[in-house]
Amino acid sequence: MIYALILWPLMVSLAVKLAGKQHKTARDACVLAGCLVQTLLSAWTLWRAYNGEPVVSSLPGICGMTLTFRADGFRSLYVFVASFMWLETALLSRQYFAHYHNRTRYYFFNLLTLCGVTGMFLADDLFTAFIFFEIMSMASYPWVAHEETPEAMRAAATYLGVAVLGGMVTLMGMLLLYRQTGSLAYEALGGAPHSLKVYTAGGLILFGFFAKAGAFPLHIWLPKAHPVAPAPASALLSGMLTKAGVLGILAVSFGIFRGSYVYGCILLFIALVTMLLGAVLGVFSGNLKRTLACSSMSQIGYILTGVAAAVLLKDEGALPAAGAVTHMLNHSVLKLLLFMTAGAVYMNAHTLDLNRLRGYGRKKPFLHACWLLGALGLAGVPGFNGYASKTMIHEGLVEWVNESGSFAFRLCEWVFLFAAGLTAAYMLKTYICLFWQKNPDETLSQKYDSEGRGYLSVRSRIALAVSALPIPALGLWPDRFLGRAARMSLPFLGLEGFHGIELFSLENLKGGLITLTIGTLVYLLFVRKKLYKTPEGYLDRWPAKLDLEESLYRPLFCRLLPDMLYAVCAFLAPLGDCAAKAFARALQAAAGFIEGLGDLAARAGAALLALASRLLDGVTDGLVLIVKESAFVDHASDMRGEDAGGADMRLRKIGLRHQRRLSRLRPHVRPDPREVTDLRYGSYFTNTVTFGLIVCTLGIVFAFVYVFLRMEM
Amino acid sequence: MYIALTALLPLLGGALMPVIGLKTERARDIYTEAVTVLASIGVFAVLLFAPAKELTLFKLNQNFACVFRMDGMGRLFALLVAALWPFASLYAFEYMRHAERTGNFFAFYTIAYGVTLLIACAGNLFTLYIFYECLTVVTLPLVEHEWNKEAFRAGRAYLMYLIGGATLGFAAMIITSCASGGAAFTPGGAVPGGADAGLMRLAFVLAFMGFGAKAALFPLCGWLPKASVAPTPVTALLHAVAVVNAGVFSVARCAGYVFGFELAQGTWAQCVPMALSAFTVLYGAVRAVREIHLKRRLAWSTVSNLSYMLFALSLLTKDGFAAGITHMVFHSLMKIVLFFCAGAIMVKTGKKDIHEMRGLAKRMPFTLAAFAVAGLALTGVPPLAGFTSKYLIITAALQRGGLWAVAGCVSLIISAVLTAVYIFTFLVPAFYAPETGGGEERADMGMPMKISTAAICLMLIAVSLLSGDAVRLIRGL
Repeated sequence: MIYALILWPLMVSLAVKLAGKQHKTARDACVLAGCLVQTLLSAWTLWRAYNGEPVVSSLPGICGMTLTFRADGFRSLYVFVASFMWLETALLSRQYFAHYHNRTRYYFFNLLTLCGVTGMFLADDLFTAFIFFEIMSMASYPWVAHEETPEAMRAAATYLGVAVLGGMVTLMGMLLLYRQTGSLAYEALGGAPHSLKVYTAGGLILFGFFAKAGAFPLHIWLPKAHPVAPAPASALLSGMLTKAGVLGILAVSFGIFRGSYVYGCILLFIALVTMLLGAVLGVFSGNLKRTLACSSMSQIGYILTGVAAAVLLKDEGALPAAGAVTHMLNHSVLKLLLFMTAGAVYMNAHTLDLNRLRGYGRKKPFLHACWLLGALGLAGVPGFNGYASKTMIHEGLVEWVNESGSFAFRLCEWVFLFAAGLTAAYMLKTYICLFWQKNPDETLSQKYDSEGRGYLSVRSRIALAVSALPIPALGLWPDRFLGRAARMSLPFLGLEGFHGIELFSLENLKGGLITLTIGTLVYLLFVRKKLYKTPEGYLDRWPAKLDLEESLYRPLFCRLLPDMLYAVCAFLAPLGDCAAKAFARALQAAAGFIEGLGDLAARAGAALLALASRLLDGVTDGLVLIVKESAFVDHASDMRGEDAGGADMRLRKIGLRHQRRLSRLRPHVRPDPREVTDLRYGSYFTNTVTFGLIVCTLGIVFAFVYVFLRMEM
Repeated sequence: MYIALTALLPLLGGALMPVIGLKTERARDIYTEAVTVLASIGVFAVLLFAPAKELTLFKLNQNFACVFRMDGMGRLFALLVAALWPFASLYAFEYMRHAERTGNFFAFYTIAYGVTLLIACAGNLFTLYIFYECLTVVTLPLVEHEWNKEAFRAGRAYLMYLIGGATLGFAAMIITSCASGGAAFTPGGAVPGGADAGLMRLAFVLAFMGFGAKAALFPLCGWLPKASVAPTPVTALLHAVAVVNAGVFSVARCAGYVFGFELAQGTWAQCVPMALSAFTVLYGAVRAVREIHLKRRLAWSTVSNLSYMLFALSLLTKDGFAAGITHMVFHSLMKIVLFFCAGAIMVKTGKKDIHEMRGLAKRMPFTLAAFAVAGLALTGVPPLAGFTSKYLIITAALQRGGLWAVAGCVSLIISAVLTAVYIFTFLVPAFYAPETGGGEERADMGMPMKISTAAICLMLIAVSLLSGDAVRLIRGL
């Protein structure tokens, strides 16, 4: 079952590649059907896990280690969410990519990434998780680079750099951990001794996962990669790939660092900074998808806050942990809808600039409803899904604050509420901008209004509607859906005792109200007063110097470090030459010394050699006379002159024959002469040895593998 | 013994090639391919069926005799060489079609096959040394094949470094042969316990550095990038597989089968090789990042990767040994594909520098796809082969512990990041950037090149998937 889940996307991706450009309809159908089957498969796995019979399997001998998988509640739930998201984005892709190049490439890597994500979530040990994590990282690179514009390439380079660096550091951490514990299984992580070495290993492992999740200060790729990727890909990047990082963080936090106070505090700090920074960037952003990307970063901060609170609360941490897990789920669903709606905007308006998009959504009730639902969910309005999970995280944080009683932690709660308010503010900003403001440019405004219903195809409407459905559903019956999800997931974290909370009690509603008030105030007093001017529209007031990537990472990693390393190497390079030369000199000197003694012998030898060579010359001449063209080396030039000419004639004949054959097959198509020159060599070999070569090739490949396995060493 | 007989086939076949007078290029191609394929089939058959038997070719005295004997290590090396050589020849036919003096080229190319097989089945250090030197001499005309100033200079460097290095190996060979009565390869070491430990340690370091010259161990690594002026079949097969692996193979023979692990374990004689190889790992990678000539970049990458193996061998543990040999096998498959692709780009488009190759994937999709597979494997993207072997090396190093081992691990990790840099800075623009200057027409590999590249790619993927079995087998050596 698990192999089917992992291998199916791989097979579909190969099928897509084969169907390729020639059969576009078949390819699109293949993608859709593949995702649908994957969703059904994962639904079945989820059902089994829900009934308490998780699928477990292991596969020894891959990459020199054993791969282990386990589809328990949390993991099968997330695999289901992943395949659901892939299905929805595949539905939208048909219309979104209508005018794009290289769609086959996109679909191929899209499904390859699904394979990586599925494997990553089903893994039962860090090693397996890492393998699929790397596959996922590499396979998602073409998403970011898909548009091939300079910005896309730059963002993709950052993405790849962070992924590679993160992967290597994680690998190093895993190796260190393996040395300490002797096992990388998730279960064994909890039993690791709490020593400095294990903590160092854990920290290194977390580095890669933090980078993928987009936590400060490794978030740099996130706000750049999401806007340039095609919208379906951004939805998956934000909704699923960051969650893969969070999964790793969950496993390590509740495994190695279980109950560690210092780690909890550090994580809480990182989480709050990520949350606040993402929200602030979101408020400042003037680009629709960049706002969403920054929001993703901020929401990851929420999830990590829940994790931190759960780590700090030790065994009583079920509530914030449940909040974190459900917020993961909610955020995936929300970002799926929001990014796809943004994609729907982009594929019609061809811009993401908020100023040009002003009033785009007027007279488009369907789009309006979708975006509004997403915004309400994300802002945490009671009755929608974001509210439930945020409240749980907030409650958990408050519990910890009350327990510790220190002022510093009280501050944390305020930061949390303020960031939640900012979320409401930036969603309000985009919502009002898209659906209520009037575009000052009359022609644009008319163009937008005249789009009618044709801006979305039926398929895309279905995709958006189905993705929008869970938002009120999860929000209105939190216990039925989110509560169950939390109860299924908590065993993975080794926690229990989650009983749900009174979401609609006065206390909790008050928290929601405070954030909404803050959001409205920020929108009215800051966004409208400082970031908006009537003629120009939204202003870009974020100082460029504060870009961590441009001002710190790129100079450090692209210039300073390589330069230093290279300087050292260039300094040492002549060493080898000097050594070799000195050696040769010494040999020469020694030879010179011996030369005097051996002079006589050498002369005698030389005379003998001369005699012998003269004799040999005579013999060779005779031979040459007998066999005229035997001395291959001497006649190389002749051969090229005459025989090659003859061969050329023959080749041309074959080419002509081929041409004739081609024209017989396709009478209306005149063969391109260029094509014929290409085929010339091909047919030369086709007629002679290709078949034999292919048979021989396969034979040798098989022989290699066979002997390799059979040989007694 | 039977392997040595099989090796006669390419030796004689190559030597006779200029004499028997093949009139056309095609006849010569078929002759060469027939000789190599027959030899490979012979090797496979011998490996599977022939009983192990010892052959003493000649005997100078009781300490120095030319002996051929097969054991696990030798079998593995012979298998690797036998699997790759026919494809490399096949590739060379198309590659060398417009070259001069191809008769010489193929003769020496085929002879080198025989010599490499003899290295694989050498039974003691003396025999190994003889054929080690032979290989240097036989491949020299191949390096100098272009007959221009650059090629001659490269040839001189080649000789200077390799013969110079071999003299160190020679000293070590004399010392150990006299101390152990022949230095026959025995698992666990041939040097008797009563020998002077200090002298033996010195001999170990000399052997490591001397035979390491062929494996491009710093400071004797300069020849390898220079030798990339040779035609690509030479760089691909000899300077990524046969010659350099012969260096690694000789070091492995010395470490595991002559000196034994205990002799140098934990002494200065282990620190020096470890430090040198750990440094070379980093050095090669840094130079590769800065190199703009594609083949030279790959050559620097070979320098770095060979030292991965030497580092693993210098750990002097069973795990380290197995990891090093695993990397030797996997790296050969990856690097030969990379060189094949680089050569195809050079010969089909005439481009040599990386910045000229932007957007090339549209014109050479097959070549770049193969390059991508092998490049990802080299970078160590799981589940491809490179990941497994690097993982094993680092695990083995951490298992051993100690300052130098951990420092080596750090340099391995940094160099892995640098590997990603030098591979991706070529691959990404090749796939994504618009092409700068150059024709529109397709310029992909021809049939023979495609077949050989695809076949080795298949092998690479096969060993990636079967890496569990592969590692188990190599561990059993």
